[in-house]
Amino acid sequence: MKNMFRKCIIAGATLAASIGSGSAQDKVSVAAISGYFAQGFGISIVDGLNKAKGEFGIDLKLVDTGNRALDYEEQFANLAKDGQYDLIFVMGWELVDALTKASEAYPNQRFVFIDGVLDSKKIVYANFAEEQGSFIAGALAGMIENQGSAFDKIGDGKAIGFVGGRDIPVIRNFLGGYEQGSKYAAPDVKVNSVFAGTFDDPAKGSELALALYGQGADIVYNVAGPTGEGVMQASAGADKYSIGVDIDMCSSAPGNVLASMLKRGDVAVYSLIKNEVEGNKVVAGSTHTFDLASGGVEVKVCDDIAPSIPADVTAKLDEIKKGIADGSIKVDRAK
Amino acid sequence: MNDKLRAFSGQLVAVLIALAMGAVIIMLIDESPIKVFMTLMRGAFGDQAKIAGTLLQTTPILICGIAACIGLRGGMFNVGIEGQLFLGGFAAAWVGFAMPLPPGLHVVVAMAVAVIAGAAWVSIPAFFRTRYGTNEVVSTILSNYVAVLLTSYLTIFLFKRPGGWSETPPILASAYLPELFAFSRLNWGLIIGLVLALFVAWFFRSTAKGYSISMVGSAPKFAEYGGIDVKRQGFLVLLASGAVGGLAGGIETLGVHHRFMEGFAPGFGFDGLIAALLANGSPIGTIVTALFFGALRNGSLLLETDTNASREIITVIQALIILSVSAQVLMKRRGDSTAGERRWKF
Repeated sequence: MKNMFRKCIIAGATLAASIGSGSAQDKVSVAAISGYFAQGFGISIVDGLNKAKGEFGIDLKLVDTGNRALDYEEQFANLAKDGQYDLIFVMGWELVDALTKASEAYPNQRFVFIDGVLDSKKIVYANFAEEQGSFIAGALAGMIENQGSAFDKIGDGKAIGFVGGRDIPVIRNFLGGYEQGSKYAAPDVKVNSVFAGTFDDPAKGSELALALYGQGADIVYNVAGPTGEGVMQASAGADKYSIGVDIDMCSSAPGNVLASMLKRGDVAVYSLIKNEVEGNKVVAGSTHTFDLASGGVEVKVCDDIAPSIPADVTAKLDEIKKGIADGSIKVDRAK
Repeated sequence: MNDKLRAFSGQLVAVLIALAMGAVIIMLIDESPIKVFMTLMRGAFGDQAKIAGTLLQTTPILICGIAACIGLRGGMFNVGIEGQLFLGGFAAAWVGFAMPLPPGLHVVVAMAVAVIAGAAWVSIPAFFRTRYGTNEVVSTILSNYVAVLLTSYLTIFLFKRPGGWSETPPILASAYLPELFAFSRLNWGLIIGLVLALFVAWFFRSTAKGYSISMVGSAPKFAEYGGIDVKRQGFLVLLASGAVGGLAGGIETLGVHHRFMEGFAPGFGFDGLIAALLANGSPIGTIVTALFFGALRNGSLLLETDTNASREIITVIQALIILSVSAQVLMKRRGDSTAGERRWKF
């Protein structure tokens, strides 16, 4: 009996010691908070976080915000109050208000806002040069449209389309790049753009895309989250083309998806965490832009379409990519 | 009194059974139920900020619950509180940012407009109920969708703040519902809710009008025979219920968010309805059940960060509570009807 008691004490002490040493270690600890971890861009962020966890053995906590605005501030406070996390990644524009308040209430906590830049100097920003990727998407779409009936499924409309989710700055930036790219590579092609007003309504996305196809556009660029899933389906229904966004969407309508403009959330979070582990800590107020040159954005032409793309188009695209990367082609960000 | 006590203990047992089932589910996801419940308690009542957070969550559930109580007492099942909350919230925000008024007056006018918006929204299903006998459950449920989308439309296409998220401009400071403490967003909405609950309880218990409404609710044929204009009264009951639903939205906008966002408070209307059902339509009981749900919700936020269990476990537990309470009601009815002759015979 006495022996057992002693064993228990030893076991308890070892346990306590192991817990103690665990927190004493200089292990990087990261949290991420969003309501969108299960879809598109959010999935790529989770991929990047898990990759970093696998490679560097960091502590990782994912927090789902749900959709009640009343909860957000409390959730930020719960994460930040103990100073337990080195970095807290935040994704989603609906969280901005709560994030700004939390960054003021917990000035020593570093929050990384993914996908945008706000006014506050107390937050770290991970921004994507989506205008650069969209420029290439626009150039590709414009040049394919210019092929006319020589290219499968293309009519003589000389127009390409754009379906945005909500009319918010980041989506405007996509549109701006797309228009500039199309104008650069195919000045005759018109860009017809429309905003769905929501990210959660595939039926509406489909309806809007069909309207654009009806007006003579043969290629529609979807920048609308789940609403955009309807755009992809509509391209199959109308047998026209669509361009996916954020993640590789070639499989959502094989044969009708021209390409996807990838926003590599995984590249962004992984490289920020890598910096953190290596001692290059990010500082509040800094903006880290992930662009074409650093692999933060890229356009992936779908494998089933790639062989039919004319060689001069491919060559021109490569030239544009090089031009953007070395700065000889300037792509303006939307204001 | 004995009956009431029995009803109360029945609800309590139902809640305990639900919690026990919740514990089993928590064990299935490899987390300790004791740790989860302790974290829930800590998240709900751990310190003064947490208690205030719980009360903040309780406020909309309580006021929506009172709206549901009014309907239930009068025999009207208003499932459209969610929609009334959204419209009330939007209307209050609109007065808040578009109509400069002196402080004090501003917040009162904004809340009055929220109340009117809620009542006006429910008046459509109420009209069809009174005039053509349309089932108010179906029409109020459907009106929720219209209300949520209508406020989204107004927010995004007509009143959107330039740049940023789909939300209206912020309301003017003169329309803020004052906060109670410096450390929390908890505001006068809670006090309004509590006073309203006491008032409604008093109204049903001590006034002739309240008695006649309860009569229509529990025995409509008898009430009609007794000379009550059942249709007119049903219309007014729905209107009052909708007005309180609108008030709930107004308080959320004026007291907490200080603007209206698309999808600003999803689910509170239904939480309130459940709180009221769990309290058997008693406004005082709804204070208790709303507090219970508020504590669950606020506790669940800490649950998400401090354990491996998801916040959604609370939604599961809430659903289990509803199931076990309704099962208990059914069993009680069976017990009543089979009392004596059939009991213990199979």
